[in-house]
Amino acid sequence: MRLIRVTKRTEPLGWGSVLVFCAALGLSLSLACAALAVQGVAPLRALALLWEGGFGSVWSLEDSLRKAIPIYLCALGVSFTFRMQIWNIGAEGQFALGAIGAAWAVLTFPHLSAVALLPLMMLSAGAAGAFWALIPALTKVRLGVNEIISTLMLNYIGILLLNYLVYGPWRDPGGRGFPMTMEYPAAAQIGMLGGTRLHWGLVLCVVLSVLAWLFLNKTRLGYEIRASGESLRTARYAFMPYGFLVFLVMGICGMLAGWAGFVETSAVAHRLQPSILVGYGYTAIVVAWVARLKIGPMALAAFLLAGLRVGVEVLQLELRVPAAFGHILEGLVLLTVLAGQFFHYYRLRLEWPGQRAEGR
Amino acid sequence: MSPNPSPASLALDPTAIPPSDPPLIRLEGLSKSFGPVRASHDISFAIRPGRILALLGENGAGKSTLMSMLAGRLQPDSGRIFLRGEEARFDSPKDSIAAGIGMVYQNFMLVNRMTVAENVLLGQEKHFWVSPKAMEREVGELTRRFNLPIDPGAGIWELSMGERQLVEILKLLYRQSQVLIFDEPTAVLTPVEAQHLFEALRNMAGQGKSIIFISHKLEEVLAVADEVAVLRRGELVGHWEAKDIQSKEELANRMVGRTVSLEIAKDSRMPGEPVLRVEHLTGPRLDDVNLVVRQGEIMALVGVAGNGQKELVETVAGLRPPGSGSVKILGTDWKAFFANPSWKESLSYIPEDRLGVAVCREMTLTDNFLLTTRQGFCRGPWLRRKLARQTVAEKVAEFNVQPGRPDMLAGRLSGGNLQKLVLAREFYRNSRLIVAEQPTQGLDISSTEEVWRQLLQAREHAGILLVTGDLREAMTLADRIAVIFRGRIMDDFPVEDQERMKRIGLLMAGSG
Amino acid sequence: MPIELIIPLLAAAVQSGTPILYATLGEMITEKSGVLNLGVEGMMMIGALSAFWISLATGNPWLGFLMGGVCAAMLAAMHGLVCLGFQGNQVVSGLALTIFGVGLANYLGTPLVGTQGIGFSKVSLPVLADIPVLGAILFHQDVLVYLSFALPVLIWAFFRYTRLGLHLRSVGENPVAAATAGLNVIGLRWLGVLLGGFLVGLGGAYLSLAYIHLWTNGLTAGRGWIAVALVIFAFWRPGRAVFGAYLFGGVMAFQLRLQAMGTDIPASILMMLPYALTILVLIASTMTGRGGEAPAALAVNMEPEE
Repeated sequence: MRLIRVTKRTEPLGWGSVLVFCAALGLSLSLACAALAVQGVAPLRALALLWEGGFGSVWSLEDSLRKAIPIYLCALGVSFTFRMQIWNIGAEGQFALGAIGAAWAVLTFPHLSAVALLPLMMLSAGAAGAFWALIPALTKVRLGVNEIISTLMLNYIGILLLNYLVYGPWRDPGGRGFPMTMEYPAAAQIGMLGGTRLHWGLVLCVVLSVLAWLFLNKTRLGYEIRASGESLRTARYAFMPYGFLVFLVMGICGMLAGWAGFVETSAVAHRLQPSILVGYGYTAIVVAWVARLKIGPMALAAFLLAGLRVGVEVLQLELRVPAAFGHILEGLVLLTVLAGQFFHYYRLRLEWPGQRAEGR
Repeated sequence: MSPNPSPASLALDPTAIPPSDPPLIRLEGLSKSFGPVRASHDISFAIRPGRILALLGENGAGKSTLMSMLAGRLQPDSGRIFLRGEEARFDSPKDSIAAGIGMVYQNFMLVNRMTVAENVLLGQEKHFWVSPKAMEREVGELTRRFNLPIDPGAGIWELSMGERQLVEILKLLYRQSQVLIFDEPTAVLTPVEAQHLFEALRNMAGQGKSIIFISHKLEEVLAVADEVAVLRRGELVGHWEAKDIQSKEELANRMVGRTVSLEIAKDSRMPGEPVLRVEHLTGPRLDDVNLVVRQGEIMALVGVAGNGQKELVETVAGLRPPGSGSVKILGTDWKAFFANPSWKESLSYIPEDRLGVAVCREMTLTDNFLLTTRQGFCRGPWLRRKLARQTVAEKVAEFNVQPGRPDMLAGRLSGGNLQKLVLAREFYRNSRLIVAEQPTQGLDISSTEEVWRQLLQAREHAGILLVTGDLREAMTLADRIAVIFRGRIMDDFPVEDQERMKRIGLLMAGSG
Repeated sequence: MPIELIIPLLAAAVQSGTPILYATLGEMITEKSGVLNLGVEGMMMIGALSAFWISLATGNPWLGFLMGGVCAAMLAAMHGLVCLGFQGNQVVSGLALTIFGVGLANYLGTPLVGTQGIGFSKVSLPVLADIPVLGAILFHQDVLVYLSFALPVLIWAFFRYTRLGLHLRSVGENPVAAATAGLNVIGLRWLGVLLGGFLVGLGGAYLSLAYIHLWTNGLTAGRGWIAVALVIFAFWRPGRAVFGAYLFGGVMAFQLRLQAMGTDIPASILMMLPYALTILVLIASTMTGRGGEAPAALAVNMEPEE
């Protein structure tokens, strides 16, 4: 005897999806609060601080937006691959390679003017990121190697490569032994927007969003990417250039994640150092999935999760909450949203025990 | 009874069945709906031990829902099931198996990577510890007792379809099921294998079991059944003693709900240039295949499923490379042809698996239409969506796709309408070679007729390779027939050749 | 290399391969039931932390070891809830589980960083330890290593000689057929998820109780992911998992020794070795064309019947 009947949904959920998302977020926050309570932190005070820190003032909003930029770029990238059901979780490594690529340009041509150096950095960052993404694309298309594992392993390797460079050949001799390159010259730094603490990376995000939307919705290749993602067998049937498309989406993802690395080193850190790797590439996966791969919602989700990160930093300072609290929150949001997506496909109906016997 | 009874007067009054034994199983007012769809409505019947009841119905008539309710996979909304006079409730397949109901599904329910013995005993193991040897011994005894030629230690992946069906039957024998239900059991069998199955069914009935035999093939139903019941749109529309049925046509009308004219006018044409030429093609499951399809003709490739049709079709459609031998499409070699296949006036493939291959459930009709025609709607890198949408609106109207809104998700179309969408798309390409694989499988009579008409019409500009397991379809449509068995073309002849037409059954079984 | 260097290296390979072996076998059981759980890294971390903390608090390392498995199984239950209860995408859910599990372990473990723990130390097995070469490699280890010797055999026998093992395999291969044979597919998959999670947790527990008796954040360092790769490498067979785990143990031990001995190769480059090897091993095993031995219904959710 079943009290709850599950039936397949025939109409899209519509605004109900917002409700489901809010419920998931609420559930995640309350579970995270329980974790805080375990460590003896007053949950309500922490929540207030979290809000205050992430979204409560112009200063914190600026901070959140700054963090949202690399997250969003990576999320945009992985959304391309997820659309084709390519489980690329390598944005973190591609981000690292992008940062390395940009640093290479700066260190090799330190005296170029901004007009020449910034485009060059962008080019080398994009190429390095794309290169890192094309390795697993190649092994997947040619040899059938599982891309989840290969992209993840390349994350570790990319991060270690960055470490190697800043501990070794690229270490700033004047840096008192800290593992970092020299500070970038002004020509290698992306400028700020007006009188704000926001940099031109934000404009890059807007431009790239429009381009991505046009590409996916208005071009033949965009159509082929979406169709191939729906069903591999159909893609083969319709002679979609599947292998090429895998290379394409992986290349795009690597380039975008590489640019995120470029923007972060050039505009925020002003140098290459291991501390730029704080898991934006993984947060991006959460963002992409939470927003169900849609461009507008991804921007919102990136901002929201960036805000949570900023808020967690405040918690860390004020209440000595470990930084890992942010990961707890991100993992929970993704898990609950994922469970909530059940309601996009199914509806539940309550049924009372007596009902069935009477018949309908 | 009158000497020439109409189906209405045939309807069985329950008292007309000799009440010698009480029924083994009795259904009373069984109903089940999915949302607004009424899959089963108020179904009542009873079967006594030793009887074979054939349940006739088109696809979509509610046969599988009814089966699932008996198997405990679905729970009825209302109605009751009685076993040996006592009410039974099946909340899970386990309950149903325990009650002695056994089922052979159309898609066999076997775990391919396990052995025959493991499959037969799955869910029936008596102890926590199992021993592969002991299991094989136990099943081996069973096969000897019933004289079934099957090795209990063999893996399912090694077996032919007919052998797999024996494994399914072994399961029921092992469980000592009393009510046996077979869903379209002959679909994957050769005529000879089917005869063996019928004998087995009669034997089992002779042991006092009740058998329900689901099919839409009138001939075999009349050959094996004691009673016939017809299911249409979820309702039982009649139930007769088989011996009282004199007119097949009446039964067919009952089944589809209106008078069917299965005679489709076909004019003969002069075949033109060859559009497909297969020579000495050998590869996995294919053994020296030679085949020519000319423009203006329909070549029907008939055979029991799994004899190499799939491999041949996928090779011709460009989805798998040919082994040795040559395949020429529109006069061009396979490799050259598929290096850069044109979307227009070239090759169309209408696959058997509509929802898995030809159409994406989660895309709109327009996007689905673009799958194979996208090159026709391009301007540089851009896709001309407006134009595509407009074209789709026209085409779905022309092919009578219901409902035909271009922005609707394809998953909401019924099987028949999906197929019409695929035809609309593929015919839009004016292809010169059309490969149609089981194009009417699972369609209702009216959709079948529409699809047939379209195929016949397509002969004007194309040669058609029709792959079908349905002889009726082959005879209705084809100009020539080729029979395939174990990857070999056994024979190839025009339909007018009455002598060879008679031997199709033998050819399908590999002899003759 | 002289034999006096090789023997300790191989002994170290067995030791550092052991946590990977536990985790690989755990993930293998889960995957055999048709569920892909990519949260191995997170479950290992939780297993490591809870084992460390509980053995420290109770003074009983065995209880800690066991609870490491139990707590990891509880984490695995979240994956079960999302995928088996709510039809969530198994890949993404596993990823989320890793993010969450690693985060939770680092969060709860932060106050413990640097704390000395209690755990298992090496016990030479009488007689066996005296076997030349092999004795020194295999039988100068801690109890948990000896336990792990039995595990692959037990799991192999479980899948071959028990009803439950047969049922578990059938739901991973063809859940619909299993359901029609009267098996409870969702229940069996839950079992696969929990049992697998338990073993993965034991692997984590080994790290904090026997491998190092010290808590550090990020202790697992990608071993969970290596275990996921090894399941593919092992073609879902326990015997080959042993080989793979010790291979990786060997590379890790070798790399650490080389670092300790002081070479010209930078540490960062040496540390890439196991990760690069993972990719190579995957390439090698897919090139043999036996990737098709994955359970047929792996990562495919079973839709609820209406």
